[in-house]
Formats: sequence, structure tokens, C-alpha cells
Amino acid sequence: MADEDNSSDRVDNETPKPEKMFTLKKWNAVAMWSWDVECDTCAICRVQVMDACLRCQAESKAGSGRQDCVVVWGECNHSFHYCCMSLWVKQNNRCPLCQQEWSIQRMGK
Amino acid sequence: MSLKPRTVDFNQTWDTLQETVKGVVTLGNVPRAIWNDRFSDVYSLCVSFPEPLADRLYIETKAFLESHVKSLLDVVKSKGEPSLLQAYHSSWVEYSQGIIYLHRLYLYLNTQHIRGQKLSEAEIIYGNVTPNAEEQMEIGELGLDVWKRMMIEPLRENLVSHLLEEIHKDRLGNPSHHLIDVIRGVIMSFVNVEEYRKSQSPELYQQIFEAPFLQASGEFYKREASKLLQECDVSQYMEKVTQRLEEERLRSQRFVHTSTHPKVKAKCEQHMVADHLALLQSECHAMVVQERERDLALLYPLLRSVQGGINVLISEVMEHIKLKGTEAIAGIRGDNYHVLFIESLLAVHNKYRSLIQNVFNGDLAFIGALDKACTTVVNTRPNPKMACRSPELLAKYCDCLLKKSSKGISDTEIDEKLFQSITIFKYIDDKDAFQKFYSRMLAKRLIHQQSQSMDAEEAMIDRLKQACGYEFTNKLHRMFTDISLSADLNLKFNAHLKTDTIDLGINFSIYVLQAGAWPLNLTSLSTFSVPQELEKSVQTFENFYHKNFNGRKLTWFHHLCQGDLKLGYLKKPYIITMQTFQMAIMLLFEDTDTMTCSEVEQALKLSQDVILKHIASLIDCKLLLSDISSENLTPESILKLNMDYSNKRTKLRITAAMVRDSPQEVEHTMNAINEDRKLYLQAAIVRIMKSRRVLRHNALIQEVLGQSRVTFAPSISMIKKCIESLIDKQYLERTPNSPDEYMYIA
Ligand SMILES: [Zn+2]
Ligand SMILES: [Zn+2]
Ligand SMILES: [Zn+2]
Repeated sequence: MADEDNSSDRVDNETPKPEKMFTLKKWNAVAMWSWDVECDTCAICRVQVMDACLRCQAESKAGSGRQDCVVVWGECNHSFHYCCMSLWVKQNNRCPLCQQEWSIQRMGK
Repeated sequence: MSLKPRTVDFNQTWDTLQETVKGVVTLGNVPRAIWNDRFSDVYSLCVSFPEPLADRLYIETKAFLESHVKSLLDVVKSKGEPSLLQAYHSSWVEYSQGIIYLHRLYLYLNTQHIRGQKLSEAEIIYGNVTPNAEEQMEIGELGLDVWKRMMIEPLRENLVSHLLEEIHKDRLGNPSHHLIDVIRGVIMSFVNVEEYRKSQSPELYQQIFEAPFLQASGEFYKREASKLLQECDVSQYMEKVTQRLEEERLRSQRFVHTSTHPKVKAKCEQHMVADHLALLQSECHAMVVQERERDLALLYPLLRSVQGGINVLISEVMEHIKLKGTEAIAGIRGDNYHVLFIESLLAVHNKYRSLIQNVFNGDLAFIGALDKACTTVVNTRPNPKMACRSPELLAKYCDCLLKKSSKGISDTEIDEKLFQSITIFKYIDDKDAFQKFYSRMLAKRLIHQQSQSMDAEEAMIDRLKQACGYEFTNKLHRMFTDISLSADLNLKFNAHLKTDTIDLGINFSIYVLQAGAWPLNLTSLSTFSVPQELEKSVQTFENFYHKNFNGRKLTWFHHLCQGDLKLGYLKKPYIITMQTFQMAIMLLFEDTDTMTCSEVEQALKLSQDVILKHIASLIDCKLLLSDISSENLTPESILKLNMDYSNKRTKLRITAAMVRDSPQEVEHTMNAINEDRKLYLQAAIVRIMKSRRVLRHNALIQEVLGQSRVTFAPSISMIKKCIESLIDKQYLERTPNSPDEYMYIA
């Protein structure tokens, strides 16, 4: 008990101005990341873009799936699995949603 | 002595030779020198000049043996009927040994003359020569053949009836001890007398001895069984039968040829077990229900011996385990429900597992029955409309063991219990439901740092992986990956703060989790106005994160965050660990002494429901004061800071506000399970079709069922829907040949 009184005395001595009532010492935050997309579902394979596309899931018995199966955004701002879109453009070089000519704006990382 | 052929006087040579032959077959003393001379005589006769005398030698030897055996027969007969077996046996012992020696003495005749004269197989097959009935035999075979014709033939009926009588006496428990070797010897003489024959089965033995022996055995055990059944109850009967079978097994080894062992065993079993099968089976129920292990151990091998006889016992055991399992979990109540539920099931399983081991010799058919019974009990639904609770209860059980709080129980005990829990896991049909519950609890343990040990966590996931495969634990692994990626991220972020000399004013750390891998849903988030004190941290981290990653957005899960708040207005400074929402409420009192609940709500922009629960938790731990008890708070209730708060400890954690899993959340879990099942099935169909290219509907359904069996049992209609949706998405198409056949579209 005496120890604790001493320590509070010392705090008073070191900080002469009145202490704030509350001080935040530490914060453990939790956040979730997801692709910044307008639509959660890939219009080509109709799987959520956060999950690997259907073909990757079918193949990835070993489960590595995710890392390779990223999202791609077109200039039109529509987004799909990169795997799905690469197959799509071989057939048809237009965005399946808006029919604009497809050109890549950015890739997920 | 010359080996050159020369003229030999047959009569003279044979006279001397005959003397020695007689000495040899009666096991008389034949000096080495004499033996050698007679050996040469055989040679000389065979190669004599101008004509070989081998055939004459053969005829004379045969005549000699015939008359010798005839005289032995007279001797045997003269000993009288009661001593027949002994007399026959001692003659046989001498004669059969003598013949072996004689065979050696006639080596030259055997190898050169008789074997050379035997027809080659090729000659027989191509039919150039008809086998000669008077074909000569080697001397050993000749001797035995003479014995068979001139000794066994005339005596066989008497011999066999004496043998059967002695065996009968042995079965009745008054054996003639001094005759044991004699009986076996006589019986085996029927086998040995044919030892030169190529055939595998001892025909003479079977014909003259085995057939009557088996018949007598059958009659004996038939009578014995009905006698026993009149004297004994079933337990005693089984005991006696078991004893009889064992005795008969030893008796067989003692007396008869190996080929007869299984036949006589079958006779016993036929008359003592199979003939009374219905009676034995009718007792199964009582024995199993009363768990009479001794009786069951006797019954098991008896029923096993009859084709299909064991099935009644197996199904009785299965029903009994089902009943005991159901009873074990029926009476359980209370907070500890999940622990009692799992441990009671395990107790039942382990009890019957060891009973099967001890009583039924670990018989796989019974292990199968145990598995079936446990599967039924584990997957029973409390009522048909509700989902089975086992997946949830087992996940909770594991959670208890893996959490820091499990006190007074050693690491090895925890490990053992987790190991045991896999036993129950294997019986669960809806393994994917277990996985959902397990992952929700794992998420909480990881985020709130409540795991007892990461080694134990990973060991458990490895066990699940072993039982169910990688796909099953994939998402669980991804959660661990996020935790370790977050550790790296925090290091990078702190380095970034240092280089850019940014002071956040607090000690900040973060878990960044990947959406989809964690069982946390974004939709249940409520709005929240972040306290000023935290804003800088949020902003700085967001900037840092977006510089490092492309195309990602962050959603803050404030309801899962916690922090340390230092209270400086009390007698002693306290550092209290609390949830972010609790912290935000406390921070409002920096500038004011009293507030109403609705003022708190407006300041933080949280939903009323969430706000009231968190305020209540602060009242319960006495940091805030209110005139109204914490359960009855209303928006108008007035809150005050407790300026007299005190606690023995200056660093502590207060209880979190419990936001219980709402019924919607349980429903959400069930929906999530369904969505996952559809995705799983679609992936399976794509995988199958990609390798098969073309497949008929039924074949595809079967393959999908086969692949999904590990985790759940999908309905056929669900598989059909998934096929349809893959046709819509142009992964598959129907072939032009048939509406019943699909083709993969690359
Ligand atoms: Zn896709
Ligand atoms: Zn992909
Ligand atoms: Zn577009």
C-alpha cells in the first residue's frame, strides 16, 4: 500500500499541471479488408470476389487458391476475378456488364 | 570286387541274400560287412551276364515279403482280440522301419531297374503303351503294398471298431492312457502305408477310418448336445460346448491326420451349435442387455462358427449401444451441457469399444456396429424441425479446452481430451456445421488473444485435417495466416511511424483480417462515431495500408477492438482494459459529470440496444453510477461517474458487454452453411467434369455424392440445382445426344 502511495506522489511531482481524467494508453484494433468493388460478386463466375473463382476452387485441392486469384478493375470501373476476365477477353474484348471495350485500370494486390 | 557284369548263380546268391533280408525287416543285427556284401549281391544280380536276374530277384523278394507279412498276421491274430491294437501296432512299427532299411539295401534295383522301367509321363500321355497292372514297384512301396493287402485288408473292420471304441472312451473321460501312442500309430499307419502314392489325399485312410470316424463323431455330439440341453441352462451349455470343442481340438491333434481336423470341428459345431442356433440366438437379447460379458465371450465364438449366425448378436449389440448412448445424454441439464454431452458420449463409446475388444476380440463387424450406433446417437435431432446440436456442442467443448480459462487441468490432459473429441467428430454427419461453429469460436479466441497455446490450436486443426482433408480446414488455416501477417504488418507500421516521426499518442496495434476467411459478417456492423483520441490512429493506418495495397478497402470492427484506459481522477491511478465502446462511453465524461443514456447514444451514434448493454456493463463494474439498476435502463436514465471507485488491483480487465448471439445470427450461420454447400458442390462438379469431359447425369450425381460424403450429405435436389446453375453460367452444357448427358465447356 505504501508503495502505491509513493508512486502516485511521484506522478503528482512529475506532472505539476492537473492530469487529464482519462488517458488512452493502448488500443488493439480489428479491421477487415476486402476488395474495393461496387459489386461483391464476380459477374462471370458468380462467386464472391473475396473467394477464389470457381475454377480456382475446383483446382485448388491443395488450397493455395486465394493468392493467385486477384481482382481486376476495368476503365469502366467494373471488377471481376482476374482469372475469369482473362478467359473472357479471349472470346470477347468487351466488359460483360457494360459492353465497353475492356482495358485494365488496376489490379488488386 | 569287380563291378564288371559276370555270371551269377541266382539260387546261391538269393539264399544268402534272403537271410539278410529277413534280418533287415525284423530289425535284427546285420553287421556292416554283411550289409555291404549283400548290397553288392543286389547289384550283381541286376547286371548279371548273359541275362540280368533283376526280375527274378523282384519276384522272389515279393514272395518273401508276402509270406513274412502273412506270418506276422498270424502272430497278431494269435494275441487275441483285446490286444489287437497293440499287437498290430508293434508289428507295424518293426515292419515299417525294416522296410525303410530294405529299400536302401535294394538301392540299385530301385534306381536302375525299376525306375528305368517305369513309363515316362510322355509315354503315358501319348498312349503308346498301356500301363501294366503288374508294373514293378520300388521295394519300399512294394513292402507297404504287401502290408496293405495282407495285413490291413483282413483286419480293417476289427481295427477300426477298436479305434472308434477307444476314441469314444476318451470322449467319455476314461481314456486308455497306455494306448495313446498305439491309437495314433495305428491310425497313421493307414496314411503312411500309401506314402509312395503321388495323390495328396490319403485315400485308404479316408475310406477305412475317416468316414466312420466322422459319422461316429457326429452321432456322439448330437446325443451329447441334447443330453446337455436337458441338464443345463444356456450359460452352462455354452461353457460345456466350448470345453467340448477345445477337447476335441486337442483330441484331433493327438490322434488323427491334419486333414481331418477341420472336418471333425465342423461336425461338433454342426450338432452342438448350428442345430441349436435358434435357441442360442434367442438368448442374445438378455445377455446383451444385462451385459453378461462372460456369457457373451462364450457365445461369440460359437455363433461365429455358423454361417450368418453372428448377425443377430451384432444387431443386438448395436441396439444396446444406441439405447445406452441415448440414455447417457438424455438427462443432461445446465451450464456445463456441452462438456457433459461430449464426455458422456465418449464414456459410452469407450466403454463399448473396450467391451468389443475384450469380449468380441475386437471383431471389425462389432466395431462397425459401434460406429453405426454412435453415428445414430450423435446425429439425433431433438425434434425433426431443429438442426442437430452435436456440431455446436462439440465446437463449444473444444473451445473450452483451448481457451486460457480451463484451470486445474494439465496440458497433457487437455491434449488427450482434444484427441478424444475427434472420435465424436468422425461420427458427425454435418461436419461443415461443426466447422462453422468451430471457426466462429476460433475467431474469438484469436482476436481476443484467449488461446491457451498456439501449438494446441494448430495440433487440433491438424487432427481435423487428417480426419477431413485440407479443404475442410483451409479457412481455419487462413485465419492463422492473417494473425501472423498482422504481426508483420504492425512491425512495418511502427517502423513507418518512426521514419515519419508520427506520434499517435497511444500504443496502437491491429489485426487486419481477410473478408471471407473469417466468420464475421459485415452486415451486422452498427455505425459508430470514433472518439477523437482514436481518429489519428485510424487515419494514419488507413493511409499506410492503402499505400501498401491496391484495390483494398478496410472496414473497422470496433465491436471487436479493445484498449487500455488510464483513470486519473481517483485516489489511485487505474489502468483498465475494456472494449472500444466502453472506452468511448467513459471518454465522454472528460467534460461533464452527468449524462443521460440518450445523450451517450447521440454522441457515439451507436444503436440504442448496443449502447444500453455497454452502459449496463459499466454500471455493473461500478465505474458508472445510476439511480436505476442496470437491467432497467431507459434513454432517460441519468449516469454519473463514480468518483469513489476503488479496486485492490490497479491494472484490471472489466467484463465485456455480452451481445448474445441473436436468433438471426444462428439463422445466419445456417444460411452461410447452405451457401457454402452450394459453392462446394459447384466446385466439385466443375472439378469432376473438367477431368471427365462428358458424363451422364446419374454418374455425375454419384461422383459428387462420393466427394462430399466427407463433410456433409447433400440432397439430390441441391446437386441438381447446382448443375442447372453451372449450365446457366456456361461451365457445362447438355450434349446433343441426350438431355441426360453433360459436357464440360473449357
Ligand atoms: Zn469470377
Ligand atoms: Zn481464379
Ligand atoms: Zn463495365
